[in-house]
Parts: sequence; C-alpha cells; structure tokens
Amino acid sequence: QTVTLRSTDIHPDGYPTIEAVKFMGSLIEQRTGGRIKINVFHSAQLGGEKDTIEQTRFGVIDMNRINMAPFNNLIAETNVPSLPFLFRSVAHMRKVMDGEIGDGILNAFSAHGLVGLAFYDSGARSFYNSKRPIATLADMKGMKIRVQQSDMFIDLVNALGANATPMPFGEVYTSLQTGVIDGAENNWPSFESTRHFEVAKFYSLTEHSMSPEVLVMSKRSFDRLSAGDRDIVRAAARESVAKMRELWEAREKSSEATVRGRGAQVNPVEKQAFIDAMRPIYEKYVKDAALKAMVAKIQAVTLA
Amino acid sequence: MELWILFGVFGGLLLIGTPVSFCLGIASLATVVYMGLPAMVVFQQINSGMNAFAMLTIPFFIYAGDLMMRGGIADRLIAFAATLVGHLRGGLGQVNVLASIFFGGISGSAVADASAIGGIMIPQMAKRGYDKDYAVNVTANAAIIALLVPPSHNMIIYSLAAGGNISIADLFTAGIVPALLLALALMITAYIVAVRRGYPAEPFPGGMAIARGFVVAVPGLLLIGIIFGGVRSGVFTATESSCIAVLYALLLTLVVYRQLDWNEFVDATLGAVRTTAMVLLVIGTAGAFGWLMAFLQVPAATIAFMRQLSDNPVVILLLINIVLLVLGTFMDMAPMIIICTPIFLPVVKAFGVDPIHFGVILILNAGIGLNTPPVGSVQFVACAIGKVTIAESMRTIWPFYGASVAVLLLITYVPAFSLWLPNLFR
Amino acid sequence: MRHTAAVLARVLAPISRLALWISGLGLLVMTVFVAWQIFGRYVLNSSPSWTEPAALLLMSWFILLGSAVGVRDGTHMGFEIGLHYAPPVLKIVLIQTTNLLIVFFGLFMAWYGYELTVETWAAKMPGINLPQGVDYMPLAGGGLLIALFSFEKLVRVIADPDAAIKAVEAPKVEI
Ligand code: NA
Ligand code: NA
Repeated sequence: QTVTLRSTDIHPDGYPTIEAVKFMGSLIEQRTGGRIKINVFHSAQLGGEKDTIEQTRFGVIDMNRINMAPFNNLIAETNVPSLPFLFRSVAHMRKVMDGEIGDGILNAFSAHGLVGLAFYDSGARSFYNSKRPIATLADMKGMKIRVQQSDMFIDLVNALGANATPMPFGEVYTSLQTGVIDGAENNWPSFESTRHFEVAKFYSLTEHSMSPEVLVMSKRSFDRLSAGDRDIVRAAARESVAKMRELWEAREKSSEATVRGRGAQVNPVEKQAFIDAMRPIYEKYVKDAALKAMVAKIQAVTLA
Repeated sequence: MELWILFGVFGGLLLIGTPVSFCLGIASLATVVYMGLPAMVVFQQINSGMNAFAMLTIPFFIYAGDLMMRGGIADRLIAFAATLVGHLRGGLGQVNVLASIFFGGISGSAVADASAIGGIMIPQMAKRGYDKDYAVNVTANAAIIALLVPPSHNMIIYSLAAGGNISIADLFTAGIVPALLLALALMITAYIVAVRRGYPAEPFPGGMAIARGFVVAVPGLLLIGIIFGGVRSGVFTATESSCIAVLYALLLTLVVYRQLDWNEFVDATLGAVRTTAMVLLVIGTAGAFGWLMAFLQVPAATIAFMRQLSDNPVVILLLINIVLLVLGTFMDMAPMIIICTPIFLPVVKAFGVDPIHFGVILILNAGIGLNTPPVGSVQFVACAIGKVTIAESMRTIWPFYGASVAVLLLITYVPAFSLWLPNLFR
Repeated sequence: MRHTAAVLARVLAPISRLALWISGLGLLVMTVFVAWQIFGRYVLNSSPSWTEPAALLLMSWFILLGSAVGVRDGTHMGFEIGLHYAPPVLKIVLIQTTNLLIVFFGLFMAWYGYELTVETWAAKMPGINLPQGVDYMPLAGGGLLIALFSFEKLVRVIADPDAAIKAVEAPKVEI
C-alpha cells in the first residue's frame, strides 16, 4: 500500500528548501519502489509556523521544513545554533551541524513528538529597513524591527537598542509598507522572495545569525513506517542536504543580484560593537552546564 | 469521498437550519474523523482562524459603529446628506444612499449600516409616503457601499485569507472609486424608480443649511479621515486605527454630545461583543473548513479545472463571478472570503489579475450576496426594520440588483476603477 | 420535563449573564491594551510587545463566551427558510438534531481545547510570559458552555415544543 507523506513549508514553490524536499521525495519513491512519496504544501497553505509545528507534533502532517526560531521557546537546545554571532562562517556552521553537535540537537526534538531529520542551512541573516543604512550600533537605536516569534530574537534586537516586534512571517510586508515596523532581518533569498526589498531598501550586512533551518518529521508518522523505510527516509533526508546547499548557493547569488538590481542599497557594518552587545543574550539563554559546554565546543571547532 | 463528506455535511446541516458557524465546524470535524486524522486540528484551526493580529480590528470597528449609531453621530451624518441630495427626485432615497457613504466610512459593516441608516431613514420615508418595500430595498442595497468605503474589516479578512502579503492600505484605497460608482448607480436607480412611482423631492434647503449641516457632521466625518489617513500614512496600524475609532467614538458620544447614557453604553458594549463573537466564530470555523480544503488540495484542483474550461481571462472572471454570486446566496460575507480566496486567488493570479483588484471584486460580490435569501443578513435587517417580508422585498428589488451587478461587471472588467487610486499612492 | 427545564434555566441564566458581562469587560480592557500600545510607541518611544498577544487572548475568551451566549439566545445566523416551511413535527426533529449536534460539537471543543492546552503547555508564548497552552483554554471553557446551553435548549424544546415551533415561524434577524 502506498503512503504519501505531507510536508509543509512557508516558502513559495521553487524555493531551495522546497525543491530539496521534493528531491528527497524522489529518492524515497525510487528506493521504495513507489510505496512512499512526499507531497509538499508550499506557501504556508496549511498554516503559519506555530500552527504547523503543532500539527506535525499531533501527526496531522508528516513533515515540516521550518525555521529554528519557532522552536526556541519549546526546545532549549535549539537556542544554541540560533545564538547571534556564534558561527564564524557558513563553513564553520556546516561543520558543526553536520557533526555530532548537530546530531545532538536533532535528537532533542524527540522529546516533543518530533524526529529531527536534517538541517538545511540558510546563509546569514542581516537587518534591512526602510529608514537608513545601519553602519554602526547607534543606527539601530529606536528602530522598530520585526523578529521571529522567539524570545531570544526579541532579546537580541532589544539588546542592540532597537525595538523588537514579534510578528508572524505573513504579516511583515504589509507592516513594513504601512510603517508599523521599520525593518526586519533575514537572508538574501527570503528578502527577495517576500518582496520586502520593495518596501525596505536598506540591507545592512550585520550577518548576526547563521541559524540553520530544520527538517522534522512527526514521530507518529515516523513510527508507523517499517524499520527499513525509516532508514530510507533518514538517508534521503541527509542526502537532500547536499542538494539543498547547491540550490541555496545559486539562489543566494541570484537573489542578491535581483535585489541589488531593483534598487536595494547594501552596506557593510561595524560588527564588533554588535558582537559585544550580545553578552546578555549568551548569559540568559546559555544557562545550564550542558548548553555552556555545547557553545564552548562549537567555538572550539576549527576549519582545518 | 472526503470532499463529499465535507460539502455534504455542510450543505445538509445548512438546509435543516443549523447556524452557519456550526455547519462549518461540524462538517470539518466529521471529515477529519472520517479521514482518521487527530480531531484536534479542527479546533486548532478554529482557534488560529480567530486569532490573527489583524482580527483585532473587527470588534473595534463593530464597537465604534455601534457607539456612533447610538450616540447621535449617524443622525448628524444623515442630516448633512439630506441637505445635499434631499432635493433630488425620490429625495429620501438619495439621502439614504449618500448617508451610506458617510456612515460606511466609519463602520466596515453593511449590517451596521443597514441598521443605523435604516433605523432612521425607513420610518421617515414611510411617513413621507414612500412605499416600505422601496425604503427597505434602497437601504439594503446602499448598505453594501459600507463594505467598499474604507475602513472595511472585510478587506482585512481578505488580506489575511490571501496570505497576508496584500497591503491593507492599498485595499482600503482601492475600494473608494468602486464605492462611488456603486453609489452613483444606486442613486440613478432610486431616481428612476421614484419617478415611476411618483415620489416627491424635498425643497432645496439653500447653501447656509448645507454649511450648517456640514459643520455639525464634521466630527463624524473627521473620524473617516483619521482612520483612512492613519492607516494610509502608516501612523497607525489597522488595529490601532480601529482602537482609535472606539476611543474617538466614546469621547464624542459620552463627553462631547452626551447622547449616550450608562444603559446605552452597556447595551452598545454587550451588543458589540455579541456581534463580534458571532462574526468571529464563523471566521474561526470557516478557517478550519478552509484548512481542510487546502489539505485536500481543492485549490489546485480548481485551477486545473478552470484552465480546462477556458484560457480566456474574460471568461474565467465571468465564471468566477457567477460561482461567487451563487455561493453568495447562501453564504455570509466572512466565510465567503475565507473559503473562496485561497481557491480563486491563485486562479485569477495565473491569468494576470492583480490581487487588490480581485479583492474588490470578491467583496462587492459577497456584498451582493448579503441581499439575497436564503442567507442575506443585510436584507433581513432592513426587512425587519421596515416590517416587510422578504418575499415583498424580493418582488421589487430587481432594479437594485441590476444596478449592483452592472457595477460588479464594470469593476471586474475595468481594473482601473480599483487600481488607479492605489497606484497614485505607490 | 417542564420542571427540569425551569431548574436548568434558573442555573444557567445567571451564568449566561455573567459570561456576557465578562466578555464586555474584555472588550473594554482590550481597548485599553491597544491604546497603551499606541501611547507606548508615540509617547514613551518603546512599543510594548505584550499588548497584542494579550489583547488576542482576551478576544479569544470573549468570542467563545459570547458565542456560547449566542447559542443560548439562539442568535447565531443560519438559513432558516427550510425550518420555517417544514411541518410542525419535522420542525421539532430538525431543531433537536441541531441542538444535539451542537451539544456534541461543544463537548468535542471542550475536550480538544483541554488536550491542546495540555499538549502545548511546555512551549512559551513569545513576547509574553505565559505557556502557549493558555491560548487554547478559551476553547475548553467556551466549548463546555456551548454544550451546556445547547443541552438546555434541547430540554426546553422537549418541555415546550409549541414555543419552539412558534419561534422559528417568527422572522428573525441578526448580524
Ligand atoms: Na467601511
Ligand atoms: Na445571501
């Protein structure tokens, strides 16, 4: 009997994360002789991040490709890779997340009805706004910035002297346009695909977060599969990461070119002051010994 | 099979008189149980359907409208309208239409408009020798204007149903020209019917009376400016502007006019809560119903089906309008918007229709449905006020339907009516 | 049956009254919250992040309490033409079918509202220091009231079927 796994994503069709899950689906379909397929519901058709996380936990939908931040208030371990300026580069982040530290974080999902399958990285997030280029920390002062619905991102933006406004992804464009917020933060492809560059043209390269995204499966759906099929799903998810990275890098370049071509003004940032301002965030979100050890281990990873 | 259960239970319960919100909720629950999914998701979606930030505008706009109606603002707007157009043939009918533009600028609700304007105008018209069915039909059709004049919480519901990427300020702006067009069409219709039935015109009151009427109406008119200007300029969010509308209405009616006593204040507050609760419960259950349709991939199937029928946008838009008009006879505004937007918006987008333009089409279309039995809340209110049966209203409502549908077609096929004004602001 | 209906009405009428007043108060408090947000942004130059989640939470309560009151008073909008023209016996059957279904729906809502509350209790709402599960408590409370009020109607119709028949024959109007 054939099973179609329903997977959800907030991004529009064609986005690298969506194509990667489709690719994973084709691998699974091949390896199970067509018994298992994946159907991707893009553009938040089945709801926003908070809703679909719950639906995945209840087993209504089978898979979810989602940001790390919405898990921050649920799973303490997910705060670590979301920490600002933790990773020195994308290569550093990939090495950490591909290794045992990453596996440890994936395992933490299992206490909440989820199976962590893989990390999809999403480049670096930077601030953009409709008011002025952010070059120094002082430029952040008083700016109303949309953040993901996560306490850590709220505290992060407030610590920079700006005014954090947590808001669902889908309400950001209108809010930028009507001046409810002055800016937001995201990576190049999202800045482009959401058309936020039309209403907030100053993109300042703070690169404050390299938090990866995550592909999770409902534990209820996962447990229904035979042991052999579970291995096939896990392996296909891992293999889709390489595909995702390839698509991602191409998309990052084309998105950057598109938004620059459409009049976005990009500027470098005096980063050290931003990094220094993050101490209270580390103090608040890396409290217990296990998380402290994890942060120290990540910082100690070198790129040989 | 899932779809048969979803639509079958919904339709069956609707026929036996189960309230619409429960038809939607029970049909969704039955389908989810049949599919063996955790039933929890139905209630999660009911909850999140009611729980978007932008939904906060609904109780506020309803409350503000209620306060204005009871606190003397509606009378002043009508008095001003009377000085402007009372001297045209069928004068009170004309006043009724114009007052709907003014009042519609405060309340986003056609039902509130029908009860506020109808409550004052229908008895007056009856006293002056107008037939009751005429008074009721003018009121009910003019009330639809309130949906298109900003602010309109239905536009906010549309923006949310469309995924939240449509500017509310642009939607508000896009409604203005179509609202004026609809008003013009209804005034012409009211005029023609009045001539045929031999209704009188009021004497022209003179420029001084107009000026006086204007001065008295200024506080009410100012609120329109505050809400629209506030949202348009980004000084307030839509939620904040709706809250300001409540504060302003309280200030005006409790402190300035002092026309609202404690009992009326309590009535207005509890009345607003009752209305909001019913509207939002329908929105919530429609959210669950809509979620199931997405889950069962109805939108994708609709696109494929429509593409098979025709690849001509003119034909597709006509077909969609017909489907919407039919759905509008038995569905109310909010569930119409929530359920139809995710289905039809991708279709029309594929044919190059601007989402803002489609929003105006959808809202006018659903608005016409508010005046069609079996589920026609605006018509019901107007009939109840005028003490006319729905059958009596139906016998003579046709010219007004004709005018509304003509405007609908004009708006459908001439995008500039909707898009010209918002494009000026861009 | 008439006695049972009277007892139920005596118990539930004040509950319904209270629910409506709590809802009204909720609307006023919501107004204050959003007003405070505007004040915070323009006067204190910092927008509080708790106002909108808190206002939404209040709104959930007053929607569900208000909806329950609407069930008791029979003011939810429906398509009643069929009911209007049905013969008297069928009228009663249809009305009671609806009442019974709403009892069950209310119970489901209460039960799953409770389950959702429990299942999402571990996550914290962003911007406001409350468990995510608080969001679902109104479903549990409102669902229970909806079931109770619909049950009361069910009993009321058994006790006095003629009144129920008359009620659907009178034209009814609401939003
Ligand atoms: Na309006
Ligand atoms: Na209708």
